[in-house]
Amino acid sequence: MTTRTVDGVRDAIEAWLGRFSFRTKLAVVWAFIFVALAVLFVAFQFDTQFMVDWLPYILGGVPLTILISVGGILLAVPLALVAALARISSNPVLYGVSGFYISFIRGTPLIVQIFFIYLGLPQLASYAPEALAPLFILGSVTSGILALGLNYGAYMAEIFRAGIQSVGYGQAEAAQALGMTRWQTTRRIVLPQAVRTIIPPTGNEFIAMTKDSALVGIVGTQELFFRASKIGRQYFHSLETPSSPR
Amino acid sequence: MDTNPIVSLRNVCKWFGQNEVLKDITMDVASSEVIVIFGRSGSGKSTLLRCVNLLEEPTSGHIEVDGIGFEAGPHTSRLRRATVHDIRMRTGMVFQEFNLFPHLSVIQNVSDAPGTVKKMQKKDAEELGMHFLEKVGVADKKDEHPIRLSGGQKQRVAIARALTMQPKVMLFDEPTSALDPELIGEVLAVMKDLAGELGMTMMVVTHEMGFAREVANRMVFMHEGSLIEEGPPAELVRGAKDPRTQRFLEAVL
Repeated sequence: MTTRTVDGVRDAIEAWLGRFSFRTKLAVVWAFIFVALAVLFVAFQFDTQFMVDWLPYILGGVPLTILISVGGILLAVPLALVAALARISSNPVLYGVSGFYISFIRGTPLIVQIFFIYLGLPQLASYAPEALAPLFILGSVTSGILALGLNYGAYMAEIFRAGIQSVGYGQAEAAQALGMTRWQTTRRIVLPQAVRTIIPPTGNEFIAMTKDSALVGIVGTQELFFRASKIGRQYFHSLETPSSPR
Repeated sequence: MDTNPIVSLRNVCKWFGQNEVLKDITMDVASSEVIVIFGRSGSGKSTLLRCVNLLEEPTSGHIEVDGIGFEAGPHTSRLRRATVHDIRMRTGMVFQEFNLFPHLSVIQNVSDAPGTVKKMQKKDAEELGMHFLEKVGVADKKDEHPIRLSGGQKQRVAIARALTMQPKVMLFDEPTSALDPELIGEVLAVMKDLAGELGMTMMVVTHEMGFAREVANRMVFMHEGSLIEEGPPAELVRGAKDPRTQRFLEAVL
């Protein structure tokens, strides 16, 4: 074939492809991916009956997954707000403590934190006064919520801090020139403006936390992932089980 | 004019690190007096103004506003907070960049502080706010958000916002420097009314020499953190004695 013919064919293909929009081509690509997955599904003998049989059991973990995620969020948001305000405060105690909290939590793996709270804290119970001892021995769900809340609180504190600091200093000055105290300035002028910057990345954190709630399954919480992996291991069908709920 | 000064600065010095920004400033402002402070950028005029309402705390010296004194130096935080608050209740400030609150409507911008700080009823605060919005001629924009206003309108709202706190002294920090030339006039007109009609005591940092000549009782020239020369506009503009003042006036006139 001469170079000329190759160029001609290439031009013809290009002209033909040019008739379709980007969206149409994208639809074709997606369709191809789904077909490929379906082929795999059949070729590797996915046990669909097994999936259908066990799906209700696995989905039984949904309420717990939701409880852990929502609990974690409810703990993380106020914690993050306090830590963020402390991080921009001129009080050395607040600044130091929040700095330690944020660095420590962000510097250690979430799974280690979960183990520490669930398995490590009970060890401390023997040193505590008897009345307080139960506070150190937490159930797996409580541990999970506490760990997720503490962990995401630290990450979200940095988001909140950045959001607060993105509000121009002139805003605080104007408020203070009007006689507002620092707290009034923060609450009425700075925070309402910071919220607009803070909300989108905070939404991402909520989604990430819901996914990370799977880690709490490791300490025996009967949430989605725990159930899925338990069944998968028991019947050697681990390919199917994680695919069912997720 | 009252002979008792409403603002008095005694030996005020301000250091930013190794930088001496205000050098031993002593000046008095009488009630209803309009003072224009001018000088090159970096001469300390803004810092001087910001020391009056303690947005900057002087390194040394004494400040008194309407009988409330503040001596620079170590204080308990409770005393400092109380004094700073008392002084800020007597001063209103207008900034070069307006600094309106973008998340609040115009009427909320002017009525929020009276409600929050003076614990005024919302209705009364808004009524008072409307009164001053009418004074500055932007009453029809009361439900807009600041982003929808022109620069001149924004600055007039900012003036109304400061007035709604009913201060004794108004501080203007280059109020027209961020405005398009055609909008400067409307802001200056409002300031002129303020001086004439309300007899407001005003300290104005500006390079608007026309405004200074027409409205100011006294002009003060600053250079490298010091007060160099002062006098009534007519005398100072024509007959400045210090060569630094003369050079500056030649450049801006």
